[in-house]
Amino acid sequence: MTDVTSLRPLFAVLVSAVAIPVILSLRSRPNVREGVTLTVAATKFALVASMVPGVLSGTTYVTRIGELGDGISLVLRADPLGILFALLASLLWIVTSFYSIGYMRGLSEHAQTRYFASFAASLASAVGVAFGANLVTLFVFYELLTVSTYPLVTHDETDEARAAGRKYLTYTFGGGVAVLGGTALVYVLTGTTAFTPGGIEALAGADPTLARVAFGLLAGGFGVKAALMPVHSWLPDAMVAPTPVSGLLHAVAVVKSGIFGIARVVLDVFGTETMAELGVAAPLAVVAAITLLTASVIALRQDNLKRRLAYSTISQLSYIVLGLALLEGEALVGGLLHIPAHAFMKLTLFFCAGAIHVETHTDDISDMAGIGDRMPLTMAAFAVAAAGMAGIPLIAGFVSKWYIVIGALEGGGLVFAGALLVSGVLNIAYFWPIVYQAYFESPDGHDKKPLVTAALGGRGSPRADGGHEAATHAGADETAAHGDDHEAATHEGHDDHHGGPPAGGWDVRGWRGAESTWFMLGPILTAASLSVLLGVVPRTAVFLRIIETVVGSLPGVMG
Amino acid sequence: MIDHLIVLLVVLPILGAAVPPLASLRYDRVGWAVATATALGHAAMAGALAWTVWTDGVVRYAVGGFVAPYGIELVADGLTILLVALISAVSLGVLAYGRHAGPHENSFYSQFLLLVAGLSGMTVTGDVFNLYVFLEITGLAAYGLVASGPGARSAVAALKYLIIGTIGASLYLLGVGYALAATGTLNMADLSDKLAAAGYDSTLVLTAFGLIVAGLLVKVALFPIHTWQPDAYADSPDSVSAFISALVSTVSAYALARVLFSVFTVDFLEAVPIARQALVAVACVSIVAGSALAVAQSDVQRMLAYSSVSQFGLVIAGFAIATPLAVVGATVHLVGHAVMKGGLFAATGIIERKTGATTVGGYAGIAGRAPAATGAFTLLALAMVGVPPAVGFMGKWYIVLGAVNAGSWPVVAVLLASTLLTLAYFARLAERLYFAEATIAPEAVAADGGERVSTAMIVTVVVAAVLAVGLAAAVPVIDQLIDMTVFELMLQ
Repeated sequence: MTDVTSLRPLFAVLVSAVAIPVILSLRSRPNVREGVTLTVAATKFALVASMVPGVLSGTTYVTRIGELGDGISLVLRADPLGILFALLASLLWIVTSFYSIGYMRGLSEHAQTRYFASFAASLASAVGVAFGANLVTLFVFYELLTVSTYPLVTHDETDEARAAGRKYLTYTFGGGVAVLGGTALVYVLTGTTAFTPGGIEALAGADPTLARVAFGLLAGGFGVKAALMPVHSWLPDAMVAPTPVSGLLHAVAVVKSGIFGIARVVLDVFGTETMAELGVAAPLAVVAAITLLTASVIALRQDNLKRRLAYSTISQLSYIVLGLALLEGEALVGGLLHIPAHAFMKLTLFFCAGAIHVETHTDDISDMAGIGDRMPLTMAAFAVAAAGMAGIPLIAGFVSKWYIVIGALEGGGLVFAGALLVSGVLNIAYFWPIVYQAYFESPDGHDKKPLVTAALGGRGSPRADGGHEAATHAGADETAAHGDDHEAATHEGHDDHHGGPPAGGWDVRGWRGAESTWFMLGPILTAASLSVLLGVVPRTAVFLRIIETVVGSLPGVMG
Repeated sequence: MIDHLIVLLVVLPILGAAVPPLASLRYDRVGWAVATATALGHAAMAGALAWTVWTDGVVRYAVGGFVAPYGIELVADGLTILLVALISAVSLGVLAYGRHAGPHENSFYSQFLLLVAGLSGMTVTGDVFNLYVFLEITGLAAYGLVASGPGARSAVAALKYLIIGTIGASLYLLGVGYALAATGTLNMADLSDKLAAAGYDSTLVLTAFGLIVAGLLVKVALFPIHTWQPDAYADSPDSVSAFISALVSTVSAYALARVLFSVFTVDFLEAVPIARQALVAVACVSIVAGSALAVAQSDVQRMLAYSSVSQFGLVIAGFAIATPLAVVGATVHLVGHAVMKGGLFAATGIIERKTGATTVGGYAGIAGRAPAATGAFTLLALAMVGVPPAVGFMGKWYIVLGAVNAGSWPVVAVLLASTLLTLAYFARLAERLYFAEATIAPEAVAADGGERVSTAMIVTVVVAAVLAVGLAAAVPVIDQLIDMTVFELMLQ
């Protein structure tokens, strides 16, 4: 590996940061404003992509910003792991930007300028997280990411959105504090926080108790954004944000920054050998396994589509953590590959949920019987991505899960392999009914879906979580409750329509794109195609090659 | 001239303070011009002194030619010039802000300059009794400034401040008396030797330490002796709030550091571990209690005042840990807090003038009506929370490193939690500013005219916000300045 001093990592971060004031100043000219977003997104992707060939051939690009004092050296470094995350985030930002335009304009949302500016800020921070060359730099951008995504979570400005925003800040800053503590501890123990493939050497010889505490703080802190249980509950609440935010940030950039932090800690701070010696990997794997199973079960209870997707995200993120915690070459590859695989598939699913919301104002799965007539292409993309989630071959999710399961079996983690397979079945259980009823049932004639409705703990009257709880909408008609939540206030043209099929059933719109605008269909189909691409030719799609470079460069790990 | 710079830093503002009352005989509003001219002169001298110390090392000056330890000695080292520069910069900022915001009376500017003189004196003195004199000058000027607000509330606040402040100063003086009885000297450098000779376990020395530290802590306003502060900050004119919140407690905390490291020295802290533990404990309690009280406030300025109680807990904790890293961190936070808190108070002044909002509830949905001030307010609040890379983060990082090094885990926990505690009271403001329906109708303000705000006021606040981030780059310099300071610190 050769280090090359280059400004490219810095520019990749700055390009969207510089765009923030420009976007803010174009408040009155929305077309130009969105033009800026798209241009910047394309530029960012080009900058990151331009470093990929070099990184694959063993070069890393380094920008030293400066020493701000003892232990605080700000350095950006585009190494294989960083490129993986940066490439993913910047690629999907382009897709999401198109979708955002369709979504925000389709709903005539307020404060679109703030929305696009925050998005640019979030992406600048996310790429900063990717390229941070030491824990401190990573932490700086990790916290900035929290701040810049807060306006997006609270975008609706309703009580619910504000409550979600408060919860989001509390959880993520709480995690940030733990990361800060862990970082300080690592610095005091070793005198450095710089990422070193295979781990910081001095950490192996440090006081094992303190090293374990440091690992606990770092993994726990990053685990908040990675939505590990029991610190996951900000994520379902954050689904109050506009759907592109849920898609790009709460399935890709923000949650993956937590995952990425854990990956850095496992691979580049502690290293797999030290982790094995300290015995900290097994507890992490157990937490991940419990999370992925529990979240899958909870997903079965959700009737609100976005909340079901959120719990699915929680579950899928833990696949990645589990892959990392198994410390096996194959499992590491699988875990890391699941970062882009899950991103493509989950983005597709969220985009579909958003398109359904914009077109029909339907948010609840129980209202979606027969919706395949109205939105055939959207639901087809949904079906593809959902199949990928469950690990059906030819789609991205299969490849990554295959690697993780192989890794689990090789490492003797039979239990973990079992957990993965069970979770795959649960995935089918919560996704298949949605697809099935969309195409093969009608609003008038559909059977009850196996929604797990028993109250947790077995007491009280049964009801589904999420969607609309009786407490918040006392006495409201189940179906009527949600449509008004926020839309009716902002765009009154729709208040005669409360989600679910219109009287007389869904229109039939055909397969040529009449169901929505191409601003939304285009990104949906792109994301779905990317997940197929990654499933069929993972190496040609670059991501697997990057990951093999990452894992190949680790000492003591079989690639 | 250049030799006398250090004493002129004190003399010039005192002379300047005499001008406005005399000028009042002929002119109504020359106070601002006189104060500004004096502050510019003060800044120039501060710059020259800083340059001298930076290039030639510590400057010592015997007032009136009476050599130490018999005469009064003034000392300028690394930390001194940092504080002097801060005093100059904040004075100029407040003057820019106050030109429009008022008060406009000549007497106000007299007191303003006296306060500058007192603060500068506290910073440069190398004599514990002389420190008392300047402490009183600072106090008296500050009481007067607080009282300069309209209405009875300001007067009551000033009276409260006067009573509690005087108790603090008296405790300090009493402590100095004990130290004098134990050693027969008042010079700081001389005291540090003779206190060691008197024995750190001597009752006189211990009593002196307790009284001096307690007296200064009153001035710093740590919990539970902070009670003068919220009234003084919230009920005084905005220019005064910005000025005293940025400087008075700050310089008192500096004086405490001076007493800890230049007079009693770290050997004392080593020899009497309970002294150090008590100080750390008070600081930690202050961090938590100050934040809890801040959360409970509905008035924004009172909230900011309690926030100071909490933030000074961080600073004092850093000083009490006493390793080089922690002391650098405490100093960074001391200076950073001054800029951030001064900026926050100045921003509240603009927001009140433009929108009429003074309470947490009133701040709802007004971001659009005072975009620059609310933007700066939010940025400063985030910096105070410790979002990197702002200066609030840098200070905390160093203090945490120091505490981890020293192995004081409970302190580490409180320090880390302080981020969340600070978030608890600032996040709700940011949320209301940008994501809530307005509770104050725009017409309500327009009806009574809505006071005008000058560009200079807005620029001052924006500059503070920029500095809150930019000062992070100055941390290596502060690190060096601490190396150039006459401190004896714990070894790592």
